[in-house]
Amino acid sequence: MFRSTLTQLTKIAAPHRFLATTAELAPRVKTFKIYRWNPDTPEKKPELQTYEINLNECGPMVLDALLKIKNEQDSTLTLRRSCREGICGSCAMNIGGKNTLACLCRIDTNTSKELKIYPLPHMFVVRDLVPDLTHFYKQYKSIQPYLQRDTVPEDGTENLQSVADRKKLDGLYECILCACCSTSCPSYWWNQQQYLGPAVLMQAYRWLIDSRDQATAVRKEMLQNSMSLYRCHTIMNCSKTCPKGLNPGKAIAEIKKSLAFD
Amino acid sequence: MARLSGIQKEVTKLYRHCCRCVYKKPEETRPNWRRFIRGEFAKYREIPKRDFATVEYLIRQGWKRAELYAGEGVRDVR
Amino acid sequence: MFRLAAASTFRAVRPVVRAQPTVVSAFRFYAAEALTKEAVSTRVLQVVKNFDGVKAAEITAASSFTKDLGLDSLDTVDLLVSIEEEFDIEIPDKIADELKTVGQTIDYVAEQPNAA
Repeated sequence: MFRSTLTQLTKIAAPHRFLATTAELAPRVKTFKIYRWNPDTPEKKPELQTYEINLNECGPMVLDALLKIKNEQDSTLTLRRSCREGICGSCAMNIGGKNTLACLCRIDTNTSKELKIYPLPHMFVVRDLVPDLTHFYKQYKSIQPYLQRDTVPEDGTENLQSVADRKKLDGLYECILCACCSTSCPSYWWNQQQYLGPAVLMQAYRWLIDSRDQATAVRKEMLQNSMSLYRCHTIMNCSKTCPKGLNPGKAIAEIKKSLAFD
Repeated sequence: MARLSGIQKEVTKLYRHCCRCVYKKPEETRPNWRRFIRGEFAKYREIPKRDFATVEYLIRQGWKRAELYAGEGVRDVR
Repeated sequence: MFRLAAASTFRAVRPVVRAQPTVVSAFRFYAAEALTKEAVSTRVLQVVKNFDGVKAAEITAASSFTKDLGLDSLDTVDLLVSIEEEFDIEIPDKIADELKTVGQTIDYVAEQPNAA
């Protein structure tokens, strides 16, 4: 903060301000190793490509570094990003061994260590850092993530909810479906076709406990089999990795609890 | 012909599916479809049969594209 | 989840589907009797002869798709699909992968009760 204010001041004062300021600081060159794979040459194996960036000329987040590489060094580097502030979930990837959002992940300023960036693990890759989330979205669709009611409110306007009931949705509705948690879950790695995974299950729970929703019985029935829900073995990688600080593991436990009393 | 390996059978399965789909297209465009399908498979003829990762990727991609092209709205291909 | 949705659709649709084939196959059964092995043989040979990649001058029941007709595995698949279309049948993958000669194909088609 202090430094950036200072930089701006110098910028205004000196005509060759950029050269002047960067010369003052010793360059901090950090090595990035990034997973590359091109679908146009499928016979070429995926590889890690090395890029070097002077952190003095780069924003603080991993996404800043990726965009800097894309802008200045290698425009073929492919990644998804949109909001750059952790609300869209597009830039989910595996950074330094942890699934997180590139826009919310600070670059470790220790330049003696290199930073490895991979796409989300155990997903088919579309290209470079872009995973194929088609199946993930299909699973999300399968839990019918929308309000289901047989009756409309009498005044014909809104479905009202008490403050206490609304409070139950906190910690659930914030999920941005970045798929960080699901792709960190070993159970999901091995049973992706049948197991719904933490992200989708947390949304299933979000609709189960919504006081306005009337399809609870059907929703529970859909989860009542050995694969969809019960492949969760409380490994808790999901809650550990969630870039939004949510707790899918707990939500799944709550579903299990409520099914147990049926 | 030597016996086909498991993955080669997957390829013929996909190719068979594509060939069958051709008959669901308008008669006048079928030659185009055949040429297109053959061309797409011919592109990767030289890939070694032990390169499983590549072949598996191509098979997966092939099914996806077949599904896309099989849509009723798609009548012709050039 | 998918399974559940699929199951319920299936249940709803099934009665209609089930009624149809009985009628059709009863009709087909009598019609199919007429398909003699000679007829099948002529038509199969015709399809093979008209097939794009086939260059051989003489085609007999003994001709092997790969050795005599010079087709590769994919061409063979293509040819078999043409034959499926000709007789309005579907050859299961397992059997199709094992058909190596024109004769085997004729035999298989002649055995099919609903070949048309």
